[in-house]
Amino acid sequence: MKGLCFLISVFLLASCATLPAIQEPSSAHVKEPILCPFPFLQEKTRFIHTIDVQAAGQTKAVMIGVTVADPASRMFSCAIMSTEGMVVFEAVAGSEGVKVIRALPPFDKPDFARNMMDDMELIFLEPAGELVEKGVFVSGDVVCRRRQEQGGWVDVVAGHDGRVQIRRYSECGALKRTVNMDGNSRDAYKTIELRSAGWLGYSLMMTLIESEMVRDMPPVQK
Amino acid sequence: MFYLLISPVWSVSADDFAKLRKDSARISTMTADFVQKKSMKILSKPLISNGKFYYAAPDSIRWEYSKPLKSVVLSGKGQTKRYIPSGGKMVEDKTGGAKAMQIVLGDVAGWMNGKYDTNPAFTATIREGNDTMITMTPTGKNMAGMIEKIEIAISQKNASVKSVRIVESATSETQIDFQNVVVNKSIDPSVFQVVQ
Repeated sequence: MKGLCFLISVFLLASCATLPAIQEPSSAHVKEPILCPFPFLQEKTRFIHTIDVQAAGQTKAVMIGVTVADPASRMFSCAIMSTEGMVVFEAVAGSEGVKVIRALPPFDKPDFARNMMDDMELIFLEPAGELVEKGVFVSGDVVCRRRQEQGGWVDVVAGHDGRVQIRRYSECGALKRTVNMDGNSRDAYKTIELRSAGWLGYSLMMTLIESEMVRDMPPVQK
Repeated sequence: MFYLLISPVWSVSADDFAKLRKDSARISTMTADFVQKKSMKILSKPLISNGKFYYAAPDSIRWEYSKPLKSVVLSGKGQTKRYIPSGGKMVEDKTGGAKAMQIVLGDVAGWMNGKYDTNPAFTATIREGNDTMITMTPTGKNMAGMIEKIEIAISQKNASVKSVRIVESATSETQIDFQNVVVNKSIDPSVFQVVQ
């Protein structure tokens, strides 16, 4: 029993890590204030992406994903369908939690909907929570770090190549998700790569088919 | 009386299905382009996909999507394989997608043979009009929450399938229209075997 407890303790400790250190910018950068990268949505938008699900470097599935994200209300609608048009998952998420409309196996597993909506939020919406630190990594990449209200940390990093990386860490600093995207341009959501860390890690390669602003109809006056 | 006026002429006799089977037996091959329109509440307009469909009697099918996402399903002799793009080439999909397609394509091959009323999972009704319209409704709970009904329009001219409408729910459906249909023209057997 003691052995088992020891193994569990070792595993938990190994799962934790130290957050990457953020430094003051070098003297060359000091003249200009650090601007946090902002690739996130500013208006309610509908996206249709192809999604290439990869694990161990190999494609496991290809699907079509539809996302409607509203930064003002922080609400999402999401659907995943096969090439043949079969909807395998559909859900909405907002302040009242996640409501699954349709989930066929294997998309009906516990936590799938919550994890998926968390991933969509990470990709499309400015991270909620307090900005606790900004500066540069050792590489010189600009980074802004936020403390998430529900625990954990999110770094938004502007690379030298103009691309933006978003990283989500657990409460104890273990890297959970990495999102790579084009940057602060209007093409930010043209290609998105989301990587899940861990032994059962996977990645989603999302390629934009089309996007459009969504204008909500005003309520009818009686 | 009002019901009689608005009700189309329905005939759900075994003879009608027998006639369809007889007419369909005259089709040995079929090639067609298809346009698929996916409608859902989350979409502002239908999502359009297109590709090519090949059939050779008795049960060989190649269902090839070219846009917006490539995928190929080959079916025949009781086997179904689905191919998806990976690293610039097409690889076999080993996930559940192929299994799901096996069920669907098993039915499609049956439809091409005019066997609309042989799958016990569905109740089929037939309605004559400009086109023959078959409506298939799931009988058991297996399809509950997946498919409400399937409507198949059959050409009166040559008994080939003109369109398929799959209604998943009140807010989600898939319409597949076949165009440039060519029947009984020789198809190279490699079409049903090779995916590049």
